[in-house]
Amino acid sequence: MLIYRGLSRISRISKKTSFGRRWLPSHPLLSGASHSAAAAAADSSVKVLGCREAYSWSLPALHGIRHQIHHQSSSVIEEQLDPFSLVADELSILAKRLRSMVVAEVPKLASAAEYFFKMGVEGKRFRPTVLLLMATALNVRVPEPLHDGVEDALATELRTRQQCIAEITEMIHVASLLHDDVLDDADTRRGIGSLNFVMGNKLAVLAGDFLLSRACVALASLKNTEVVTLLATVVEHLVTGETMQMTTSSDQRCSMDYYMQKTYYKTASLISNSCKAIALLAGQTAEVAILAFDYGKNLGLAYQLIDDVLDFTGTSASLGKGSLSDIRHGIITAPILFAMEEFPQLRTVVEQGFEDSSNVDIALEYLGKSRGIQKTRELAVKHANLAAAAIDSLPENNDEDVTKSRRALLDLTHRVITRNK
Amino acid sequence: MLIYRGLSRISRISKKTSFGRRWLPSHPLLSGASHSAAAAAADSSVKVLGCREAYSWSLPALHGIRHQIHHQSSSVIEDTDSQEQLDPFSLVADELSILAKRLRSMVVAEVPKLASAAEYFFKMGVEGKRFRPTVLLLMATALNVRVPEPLHDGVEDALATELRTRQQCIAEITEMIHVASLLHDDVLDDADTRRGIGSLNFVMGNKLAVLAGDFLLSRACVALASLKNTEVVTLLATVVEHLVTGETMQMTTSSDQRCSMDYYMQKTYYKTASLISNSCKAIALLAGQTAEVAILAFDYGKNLGLAYQLIDDVLDFTGTSASLGKGSLSDIRHVIYLSLLFIASEIL
Repeated sequence: MLIYRGLSRISRISKKTSFGRRWLPSHPLLSGASHSAAAAAADSSVKVLGCREAYSWSLPALHGIRHQIHHQSSSVIEEQLDPFSLVADELSILAKRLRSMVVAEVPKLASAAEYFFKMGVEGKRFRPTVLLLMATALNVRVPEPLHDGVEDALATELRTRQQCIAEITEMIHVASLLHDDVLDDADTRRGIGSLNFVMGNKLAVLAGDFLLSRACVALASLKNTEVVTLLATVVEHLVTGETMQMTTSSDQRCSMDYYMQKTYYKTASLISNSCKAIALLAGQTAEVAILAFDYGKNLGLAYQLIDDVLDFTGTSASLGKGSLSDIRHGIITAPILFAMEEFPQLRTVVEQGFEDSSNVDIALEYLGKSRGIQKTRELAVKHANLAAAAIDSLPENNDEDVTKSRRALLDLTHRVITRNK
Repeated sequence: MLIYRGLSRISRISKKTSFGRRWLPSHPLLSGASHSAAAAAADSSVKVLGCREAYSWSLPALHGIRHQIHHQSSSVIEDTDSQEQLDPFSLVADELSILAKRLRSMVVAEVPKLASAAEYFFKMGVEGKRFRPTVLLLMATALNVRVPEPLHDGVEDALATELRTRQQCIAEITEMIHVASLLHDDVLDDADTRRGIGSLNFVMGNKLAVLAGDFLLSRACVALASLKNTEVVTLLATVVEHLVTGETMQMTTSSDQRCSMDYYMQKTYYKTASLISNSCKAIALLAGQTAEVAILAFDYGKNLGLAYQLIDDVLDFTGTSASLGKGSLSDIRHVIYLSLLFIASEIL
C-alpha cells in the first residue's frame, strides 16, 4: 500500500514536471533517498528474491524522492510528450503494410491471417511503438524530404528495414496469440471473438503457421542472419514459455525463478530480441545492442508483473475487482508466489488447484493479508528502473529527435508501472 | 489402367538398367513418344490439365516410350548390363544415420514434455521412409559435391566437408519442416496414428502437438539462419507458406474447386512438391551452382514430388495388393475407375 501511494504520488509529480524524468541515476530505485533515510526507517523493508537482488522501501525514502525530483526538475521544465503520439503516423504506415503482408491466395486463409490486423483490433501496438522509438533513439532519424538525397536514401532504407522488424514482431506476436487461443480454448481476444471461436481451431492453427512463415520470409529479406537468428529464437522462446506454463510440476509452479524464466520467454523475449535487432540493423556496437536488449527485457518483465497485479486488482487498488483469470486458470503469478513466501500454508491451497472457487477466495484472503501485491509492484519498478538505466547508458547524442525518443522510452518505463488497465 | 501399366513397365525397365536413367530428355513426360505415336492412337487419350500442360497417353505411345528408352539405353547397354543394380537409398544410408543422430540432437528442448514431443518422430524406427533426405543427399552428390575422402588434400577436403555439412543441414531442416507440418496436420485432421504409432496429438494432446510443431519450425528457422544464405532462407520459408496454403486449399474448397484438376495440381504442388523442389534448389545454390542448374534441381524435385503424390493417390485406391506389374483384376478395376473419373471430369 505504501508503495502504491508512493508511486501514485510520484506519478502525479512526474506528470507535472518533464516527462521521462529519470527516476534516480542508479539502481536500486531509491538508492539516493533510501541511503539518507535508511537509518530513519526500517520497518517495511521488503526482500525480493527474483533476480536475486534486494532493496528497501520506506515512507521517508519516498519523501526523499519527492525532494530529489523537485531539485532535478527545477532546471528543466519541458512539455509533456506522449510516446505513442511521437510514432502515430509511422504506426499507420506499418499497419497498412502489415495488412498487405498477410494477404493470402486462399480467401479463408486471408481472412484468418488478417483477422487481428484489421482497423480497430490491432491492440495497443505497444511493441511497434517501442521499436520505432528505439530506432530513433539509436540515431536513425525519420528522414526529412528536404535533406541531401543520398543520405536520405540510406536513412530511409534503414528506417524501412527497422519498420520491417516492427512488422515481423507483430506477425510473430499475433501468430502466438492465435495458437495460444487455440491451446486455451479462448472465446474472446481484443474485445472480439477469438479466431478459433469464429473460424475454428484448424484455421486458427493454419493462420498462425502462415503468419510465422510470412514473418520468416520478411526476415530473410533483411539479409541479416544475426537478425534472423534473434527472431527465430524468439519463436522458440514463445513455445518454450507456453510449454513451461502448461507442464509445470508442483515445485516449479511455486518457484519464483521458474516463473521469471517463463515470463521472460513468454513476454519479454520478443521485445528484447527485437530491440536488439533494431540496434544491429542500425549498425550499432555490440554494447549498444546489449543495452537495447536490456531495455526491452526489463520493460517486458515490468509490463508482465503489473499485468499480474492488475489481474487481481483491476482498475481499483483493492483486491478482487480484477478479472482473476490467471488464478482461475490455475496460473500462479508473482503476487501469489510472494504471498506463499509469507504464508507457507497458501502452498497447500495452490497445490489443491483452483477449480474449486472457494480455493480462489482463500487464496485472495491470504494475498490480501500478505504483501504480495506490493512486492510485485516493487519488482516491476525495479525492472522499469533497469530499463531506464539502459537508456541512460546509451552513447550521448544531442540530436533533438534522438533525445525526444529516448525520453519517450523512459516515459514508457514509467507508464508500464503506473497503468491501471 | 493404361497409365498404371505403362508406369509399372517403365518402373521395371528402370530397375533393370542403371538407376537414374533418364525417362526422356524433356518435359512433358512422354513428349517424344507421344509425338511419334500420336497419329497412331487416339482412343484412350487422357488429357491432364494440371500445371496447364497437356499430354496424351495411349497404348501405342507407351510402346513408343518403351522403344525410346531402349534406344537411348542401347548405346550404353553394355555399361548398364554390367553395372550392378543400385539402390538409391543404400547409396546414402550411412549419411542418413549421421543426419538422424544430428536431428535428434537438434530438437532437444529444455522443457522435458516439449523435448519428448519434438523428438517424437525422430526416434529410431519412426523416421519414416526418409525419402526427402535421400533425394537431397543424392542431389548434393549429383551436383558434384563429393562426400569427402579422408585421404585427400586437407584444405580441399575441409571446404568440401563444410559444404557437405551445410547441405546435410538442408536435409535436416527439410525433415524438421516436414515433421512440423505432419504434427499440425494430425491435429487438424484429428488423426490417431502416424507412421505406425499413435499420432502425437493422440498420445500427448492437441496443445503439445501444436506447440511441438511450432518448436520444430523455430528450430528449422534458427538452423536456416546459421547457413547465412538469405536466398536459401527465403526458399524454405516459402515452403512453410506453401504447406499452409496447400492445407488450407484442401480444407476450404468450393464445389467447383474440388472438381478442378488445375486446383488439385496446384494444391498438390503446395502440399507435397514444394518442399522437395525448393530444398533441391537450395542444395544447388549452396553448391554454388548457376541459376540454370538450380532451376533444373528445382524441376527435378517438383516433378518427382508430383509423380510421387499421383502414385500415392493411386495406391490409396489399390492398396498393398498393387505390386507393380501384377495387374490383378481387382486392381485393374480400381485403376479403370480412376481413369474413368479423369475422363468423366473432362467430359462433364
